[in-house]
Amino acid sequence: MAKADPDSAVFRLEEAIANLCQESDGGVTQKMLQDELPDIPLEELGSALNVLLSRHQLQMYTQASTLYYKPVNQEDRVRFRGLGSEEMLVYQIIQASQNMGIWTRDLKLRSNLQQPQITKIIKTLEGRRLIKAVKSVASKNRKVYMLYEIEPSREITGGAWYTEQEFDAEFIGVLREAVKKFVENQGKVTLEEIAAFVKSSGATKVDLRLEDYQQVANTLVYDGEVEEISEFDPDEDADTTFYRMSPMSVPETNAFTSIPCGVCPVLHECSDDGLISPATCVYYQEWLQF
Amino acid sequence: MKFLEYTPLATLNSFLGHVNLGDYIIEGDLEAYSCKLAGIDKKLSRNLEQEVLESFSVSPQELATSPVGPLSSSASRKTLIYLILTLNHMYPDYDFSTLRAHHFCKEKGVAAVRQTIDNSLMETGQVWARDVGDSTSFLEALWSAIDEVIQLVDCDVYSYKSDHDGDPFGEKGAIWSFNYFFYNKKLKRILYFSCRCKSKLALDEASLSSEEGFSEQEDEGFVNDMDMDV
Repeated sequence: MAKADPDSAVFRLEEAIANLCQESDGGVTQKMLQDELPDIPLEELGSALNVLLSRHQLQMYTQASTLYYKPVNQEDRVRFRGLGSEEMLVYQIIQASQNMGIWTRDLKLRSNLQQPQITKIIKTLEGRRLIKAVKSVASKNRKVYMLYEIEPSREITGGAWYTEQEFDAEFIGVLREAVKKFVENQGKVTLEEIAAFVKSSGATKVDLRLEDYQQVANTLVYDGEVEEISEFDPDEDADTTFYRMSPMSVPETNAFTSIPCGVCPVLHECSDDGLISPATCVYYQEWLQF
Repeated sequence: MKFLEYTPLATLNSFLGHVNLGDYIIEGDLEAYSCKLAGIDKKLSRNLEQEVLESFSVSPQELATSPVGPLSSSASRKTLIYLILTLNHMYPDYDFSTLRAHHFCKEKGVAAVRQTIDNSLMETGQVWARDVGDSTSFLEALWSAIDEVIQLVDCDVYSYKSDHDGDPFGEKGAIWSFNYFFYNKKLKRILYFSCRCKSKLALDEASLSSEEGFSEQEDEGFVNDMDMDV
């Protein structure tokens, strides 16, 4: 849209609106504009706003179901040049999804646009490097998009345990061995000591957080190889959690799990004269075929 | 992949798109494509070809046989690429480019597949008879249209083995589904036929909760409260 004649009333109105938006922190509502410019008829106000929006000098956003107008900074004006209202709508929906991204189906539902339109708009926005496609480990085949400059959240990338969308069991195995040996050698260690040791040993080039070490330690605890104890530590003057080797490991099998009854899914329905009884038990038949 | 227009097929596709079976609905997809690579298809095809060849050079034995044929042959690789591209075209909300040959299986033949399909769609046939009121039965109309487009006698039939995790066959409310690719190498055409049966109850719940969040939330709360009576 061509810029209006600098002397005309329309241009002055657009300037006035832009300035009011600039001055007000958090943008202005239509009502606020009406209050500030009481002589301007609603129609003129509306068309001036539309012009400013189409030139990307202003943008709209909603907060608590009120519509606000706020100025667009110079950088963004360049980035959004030539984009229509539908493209901006899609951009804003994707923006709202932040570092989780949004699935294209949800994008269609929220924007009420059809598949061919969405495909075209996404292509445009991708071409401008405004959005990018990301692969989520949770839903591997879904098409998810987020803003170009945002780092995907750990839920999407899988964090430290996923390399290129694949669960890196080997890496975890290596870490577990290292932690186990350390605990064995030291006798009694805290989580921080484990973290420091693994970092210094260079077992991993990846920077792991304390939560990640906690997860590895937990897997060893659940497997019965390492034990978690809470003791009073005189240095810290508080109860701290220590890890040490398990005095008693969880056995692979025991008497209960070695016979069919121990792991029978219908144990509680089994009786001498019922449909399910020891005499007709299929699991025993199988078990006795050795 | 070029979408093939054929009115009888389009009519069936439109009917199958949403069939109301009382407590359930059927979402069917019946489309045919010509195996012509255009635009973005070409790029995908090149990437896939490259990846398959790379993994082939690393472990040749693994790829000696596969459901689509020995991946050392370019014809087998082409088959795999057409299957993947068809899925991408059918379900634009999903991206199947990471699929490989082991995600598909080759069916025994048209006859076996036809029987499975006929058995699954008996109720659907009744709805057709009631709503469309044609003298031809649903199955007759279906198979005659399919045969017109793809000439079943020369077809290999493949199926995608869904792990129901993040793909159209594991969507909310999914009860059962089938999917078949009828591939006629001579005609260079693929016909895709799939039906997904979903529970209306689950879909109603889903549409209520999706107003809040971006994607469906797992309702674990009520499952955790369920107790097995000992």
